[in-house]
Order: sequence, then C-alpha cells, then structure tokens
Amino acid sequence: MKGFFSSALARGLFWQVIGTLVGAGLVTGIRALMGLSATDTFFFTEPAWVLGGFIGALSFLVGSGVTGDWIKWARGIDTPDHHEDHHTGWEKFVNVSLDHKVIGIQYTLVALVLISIGGLFALIFRTELAASELQFLTTDMKLFGQNGPQLYNTLMSLHGMVMIVSILLGIAGIINYVVPLLLGAQDMAFPRLNAFSFWIAVPAAVLLLSSLFLGGFDTGWTGYPPLSARAPVGMQMFFLGVFVAGWSSILGALNVLVTVVRMRAKGMTAMRMPIFVWASIATSLIALTATQFIGLAFQLVMFQRLFGMGFFDPAKGGNPVLFQHLFWFYSHPAVYVFILPGLGVISELLPVFVRKPLYGYRWIAMSSLGIALVGFVVWAHHMFTSGMNEYLRVPFMYSTLLVAVPTGVKFFSWVATLWKGKISTPTPMLFVLGGIVVFLMGGLSGPPNATVSTDLHLHDTYFIVGHFHDTIFGGFVFPFFAAIYYWFPKATGRKMNETLGKIHFWLMTPSFFVLTFGMMYIGLIGMRRRIADYDPALGIDTAHLILTISGFAIALSVLIFFYNFFVSIKNGEKAEGNLWNSRSPEWQVPSPMPVHNYDKPFEVVGEPYDYGLKDAGFVKFIEEPAKGKH
Amino acid sequence: MAHSQDKSSALGQGVVIFVYLTVLTIIEYFVAVSFNATSLLIVVAIIKAALVMYYYMHIYKLNEADHGDEHSYAYKTGTNRLGLWLFLLSDGFVFAGLLVMRANLLGLTRPHLNQFLGLAVTAVLLISSFYMNRGETAMKYGDVKGFMRNTIITFVLGLGFLLGVVLVEWRMAAHEGLVASFGNPASGPLGGVFYMMTGMHAFHVFTGLIFLAVVWNNARKGVYTAEQHWGVEAAAVYWHFVDLVWIFFYPALYLIGTAVQ
Repeated sequence: MKGFFSSALARGLFWQVIGTLVGAGLVTGIRALMGLSATDTFFFTEPAWVLGGFIGALSFLVGSGVTGDWIKWARGIDTPDHHEDHHTGWEKFVNVSLDHKVIGIQYTLVALVLISIGGLFALIFRTELAASELQFLTTDMKLFGQNGPQLYNTLMSLHGMVMIVSILLGIAGIINYVVPLLLGAQDMAFPRLNAFSFWIAVPAAVLLLSSLFLGGFDTGWTGYPPLSARAPVGMQMFFLGVFVAGWSSILGALNVLVTVVRMRAKGMTAMRMPIFVWASIATSLIALTATQFIGLAFQLVMFQRLFGMGFFDPAKGGNPVLFQHLFWFYSHPAVYVFILPGLGVISELLPVFVRKPLYGYRWIAMSSLGIALVGFVVWAHHMFTSGMNEYLRVPFMYSTLLVAVPTGVKFFSWVATLWKGKISTPTPMLFVLGGIVVFLMGGLSGPPNATVSTDLHLHDTYFIVGHFHDTIFGGFVFPFFAAIYYWFPKATGRKMNETLGKIHFWLMTPSFFVLTFGMMYIGLIGMRRRIADYDPALGIDTAHLILTISGFAIALSVLIFFYNFFVSIKNGEKAEGNLWNSRSPEWQVPSPMPVHNYDKPFEVVGEPYDYGLKDAGFVKFIEEPAKGKH
Repeated sequence: MAHSQDKSSALGQGVVIFVYLTVLTIIEYFVAVSFNATSLLIVVAIIKAALVMYYYMHIYKLNEADHGDEHSYAYKTGTNRLGLWLFLLSDGFVFAGLLVMRANLLGLTRPHLNQFLGLAVTAVLLISSFYMNRGETAMKYGDVKGFMRNTIITFVLGLGFLLGVVLVEWRMAAHEGLVASFGNPASGPLGGVFYMMTGMHAFHVFTGLIFLAVVWNNARKGVYTAEQHWGVEAAAVYWHFVDLVWIFFYPALYLIGTAVQ
C-alpha cells in the first residue's frame, strides 16, 4: 500500500485535487472582488469549476512527473534516451514508464476499469427499463442534486461517453503494445509523448466522471445545444473531460504514424507490414485530424456558456445545426477509429487459427484506408432530421452506402480465408469468429439507417441503439477480448484459462444477440432511445424484461473474464513459447519480452501470412549483435 | 569561402520571399478595398501560404532521405520533423474548423474593424517571420550570436502583435459594438466569431513566444550547434505556422465580404 501512495498515479491525483481547488479559488476570489456571487449550488460557480478542472488536469500531469524530462529539456539539460525502471510487479503500472509494453498494458487496464464503470451505469438504467412506469429512479428520489429521471439521463449520457473513452483507450492499448513488436522497433518513436498521451487520459476520466456529482446533464453523449447550453455544471465537466481525452487520442495517433513511417525493421516494405499495422495507420489518420473538430465544437459551447458568445444560440443569430456539423465531422469517423483496429485484429488472427494465407492482403490493407477516407464525407447522415438543407441528404446517403464497399472487401477476405482452412477454435479464435458474425449483423442493420426514407422513421429509436451496439461489439469488444486472450501470454508468460474463456464467450454471445435484436425489435415497435420510461400500451414490457436479463448475463460473462484475467496473471498455465504457432515476429522469441524488445534485430524475408507453405519464413533474426547504444 | 557564400545566398532567399509576401499582402489589401473579389483573395492567400511553407518552413525536408544509424542525431531529427508536421496538420484542423464556423455564421459579411490596425498587425507578424528565418539560417551556419539577435527581434515583434491584438484591437472592437461580453444579450455571432478566431490565434502566438524564449535561453547556454539544433528548427517552423494561420485569418476577418455592425 505504501508503494501506491508514493506512485505517480497517487501523486497526480493529489495534485489534481490541489490544482482544481487553486484554480476554482482564484476565480472565486476574483468574482468576490468584482462583487459577483462567489458560490453556487455546487459550492463553486460554473466558471470556477471550469478553470479549476482545467488547472487540475494540468497539475495532474506535472504532479505525476510525466512532463519531467521535457521541463529539463526546456532548461537546456540533457536526459538519457532511456530511463532505468526501478519498479517491479504491479508498481510498474501505477508509475510513469517509457516502455511501450507497460504503457500498452496501462491503457488496457484503464480501459477495462472504464468499461466496468460504463457497464455499471448501463445496468442501472437497464434495470429501470425492465418494466414500464418509474420503479426506483422516481421523481421523489434525490441523489447528487438530481431526481430519478434526471439521474437516468445522466447515467445514460455518461454510459455513452465513458464507453467511448474506454474504447479509445482500449485500442490505444492494443496498438501501443503490439505495433512496435510487429515492426521490430525498440519502442515508439516518441516514448515520452507516449507516456504523456496515456497519463493525460487519467485526469480526463476523472473530469468526465465528476460530472455525475456536479448536477449531471441530460443531453446524451452528443451534447447538442441548445439543451447543453443550459444544462447544469456537470455539462461543463463533461465537455472538459472529452476535450482532454481528445488530446490523448490525437497525440497517441501522431506517435503511431511516426513510428510506422520511421521505425520499421529492415526489409519491411509497405506491402509486407502485418495487416494490423495498416489498420492502425487508418485509425490514427482519423484520430489525428478529425478529433480537433469535436474539441472545437465542445469548446464553443463552453465559451457560449461562460462568455455569452452566441455561436449556437438562434436568439442571438447563431446556428445550432453548425454544432451538429462540427460534432459529427469527428463523431462519425470516430466509430471507424473504434472499429478499424478491431477489424485489423480479426484479419491478423484469422490466418493463425486457419493455417492458411490471408486472402487478398493488399485489398484488406487498402480497404482500411478506404473506410477511413470515405468516413470523412458521411457525417451528415446523422442529421437527416435535423433541419439542415434537404439537398444535402441524398449525397450523404450515397456516400454512407459507399462505406459498405470496403467493408464488404474485408468480409469477402475473411470468408475466403476461412474457406477450406484447418480451423481450430481456442478462445481468441472464438472471439474472432464472434466478432465477424456480430459485425455482420451491425453492417446489415446499417443501410436502413443510411437510407433517408427509412431513417426518417428510425431516427432516435432503439433500432439505432441496437445497430450501434452490434457494430461496436463486433468491431471493438469481441476483437478486444480476442486480442487480450491472444497476447496475454506475450505480456505475462502465462495463459488465460481456456475453460473460463469459453464460458465467457458462450455466455456473452447469445445474450448479446438477444439484447441487440431485442433492441431493434422494440425500436421498430416505437421505443425511443434515451427516454426513462415508455407507454405500457406499446406492449413491450416483456421484451424489455428479457433485454434487461440478457444485459445482466453479459455483465456476468465479463465478471468471469475479470476473474480469469486477474487469477491467470499469477496462476495461469505457463506459456513462454510460440503457443499459437504464429509466424509473427513477437512469437519467435520467449515471453514476456525484455524492455527493448528484441535482443537481435530481424529482417523481413517473406510474406507475413504464408501459413501452410513450406520454407516460407516471414522474419529472420540477424545474428550479429545489435549496434549502437541504447 | 563557399561557406559564407552559401550563407549569404540563403539569407538573400529569405529577403526575396519576404518581398514577394509583402507585395502579395499589399495587392490583397488594395483588391479588398477597391472591389469585391473573394475568390481572388483566397487565391492570393493560398499562394502566400505555399511560399511560407516551402521557403520558410522547408516542408521539402520531410522528403529528404536519411541514411545511416537509427540512433544518429540526423535520423532522430527526421523523425522529430515528421512528428512536428503531423502536429501542425492536426492543429490546422482547429483553425480550419474556425474558418468553417466563420463561413457558416457570417457568410459574406464581416465585422466592422479598423482596417489600418489590421494591416499593421499583419505587417508586424510578417516581418517577425522574416527575422525568424534569418535567425534560423544564422544557426544553420553556426552563428549563435546572429541567431540570438534575430530571435530577440522576432520575439519583440511577436509580442507587439499579441499586444496589438489583445490590448488595442480587442478594445477598439468592443467600442465598435463587438461584445463577447459576460451575458450581454446583444452579443451576436459577429463578436463571438471575431473574439474566438483572434483569441485562438493569439493563444498560439503566446505559446510560440514561450517557445522562442526557451530556445533563446538554450542558445545562450550553448546547447545548439550548426549540426545539432532541432529545437531551433522546431521553434522556427512553429512560428511560421502561426504566421501561416494569420495569412488565412486576416482576409477572413478583415477583407472578405461587406462590413456590418
């Protein structure tokens, strides 16, 4: 426990609290001098909370010590390229480390924590929805200054954004851990920036969750004005949290792109890179650029609230639809940020368990970029009912339907890879196959939403919720679990329990199908999304009850996963060799790997996925010792 | 001898580009006050931006093939350069978003502003970019003193721009009725757009000034040499980027469209 209190995490959180108090106190003092009211419902006033939250996040970064080397550089002091890591065991993960493998695991752990929190929120409001009328989130109850339905709205909104942040951290975790290993690099291109990108996400998560205690907000994760311009202070904390988390995503993406361009092993030409690397490039291109738009959109609402600038206020000549354009310009491509790494994991793992070459490597590589690029011109399909100019609807409908083409290329390749393969189904492969099927359901339920005539009816119904959960589970959650089961032995030298893994899969998958098909069904009947209650006359009480039960079944399966995860770290079956019989370079050396990855550099001498062909190696280790200092 | 010839031709190129930029800015200004030609103004801005990106920011260096050891300073500088440009690309999206906002909310109108002051701050920022280029060129040829002298001039001009916008222009704009005020019901998008765009740019100028102060101080300590001065290059490229943004913001705020109050 002593180790925890002196860790970077504890120091950061301590300084975040101090920084928040100092920032908020400053504004409060100035307001008191100006003769304005110094306190409000949640003790500090709104401007005080905003400045306090911002300074708190900066204080976290300085306090945790992740910016230490940069401060030294600014003062003209040189630092060694790599630091020795004194921490061992779990302490490594609560302290600043520059090793991409440690950072990847840190990302993954925080993602799992946030998934649990977001899932817990979902269980609470799902329980309320199990029957019509309000049961426990009633108008009489009061918690954190909110009554039942308000709390429902806050939890529903936070479920969305907490999950989004957890997904961003989850993909960053896999990319961080895996990409340098696949490239044969010693680390990411900018190890300090990499650590910074991770650590900035921690205060962001704290800010985001603090909105629950500051009056909450009821806009859903989209934060549309005018509602978001008048919601309680929690709205500002939500905006600030997303803004800070956005920087984590942007800087992480920058690092990935530079690493791929500059740090590949000898002989690794573009068309010989592992396919997951292509997916990481595509996802990073979107995250690097488009993320700025959501940051800007949220910043503008924050300023509208703080300074009365009427950007989105029609009464002052502003335009609320502009917010939706800026918001969706990121938030639609963002779903491709979520799924592209997942689809990359599927393409990466499938040949290993099918023992056949990946079908159409070039096409898959290009389809990732294709999805990313088309993703930039589809945003307004979220706005068919928003009152934007009608002539915009048709081009956005067609550009959206166009996304099906590169996605179809991927499905074709997966099916062709499976065709006549020697398929084995250990847990990672089960999740890969599950991901393919679930994502197919998400894909097939997409075109009805993209087509204007049907979307006008489906917009804001539970059908959309069902579609969305299918795409994200298929594109992120299933591949994420597959990646964890697959690379867990690489990180720990031990294997996760196979039986528990199979129980996890066979409990989660059917429950999930019941959940999302049920969502689509009640959506078609007339259930709206984001609403705390529904009319018993709709006759969907039973359906809702079944949805709630399947929601709890998914939660139970995830609990089994967590048990498996934490028990296997210490007690899992030893697996230090190439247990999946993979051709990938990271499996050619013993697990877990040392700090700078490969003792000997390797050279790429063949195609990455030539499984089943005799004498067709992918990499060859260069025998002479590595040159240069570390 | 060849060394000093290289240096003077590099400095000479900086002068020529500065003259081009000045002439284009003057053309831009007179086009705007004489007749309404939005597309021409956009073309001029793009030409100016291309000149700055190529000759002052040396974007072509991204393409320079670097051989040799991955641990060498040259190879690392190449890596850093790519990282910096990707950061600028990302940052550019913020300013692009602000231009989209301006186009959506104001269309072919613009706030009523003091034209002379606008041209003056623009000129100050342009001249600062010129001196930044001289400073970087000096460092490239190992002239630390020359670098420090030129960086001080750049810093002073940059500070002049910042104060000119925040202290003078913001106050004058407030007198023109552009109020981003605390809860003023009359404050429409004109004021909001003006303060948001100039404010976001001023914030970048401010960070650029900090960056300049840091590299100046490190140069004083003797950290940089002719071969190893990535910090100087990064500060210079960032400073030119701030100028680049203003190349688009100046016409967007002062020249395009008709002034309304």
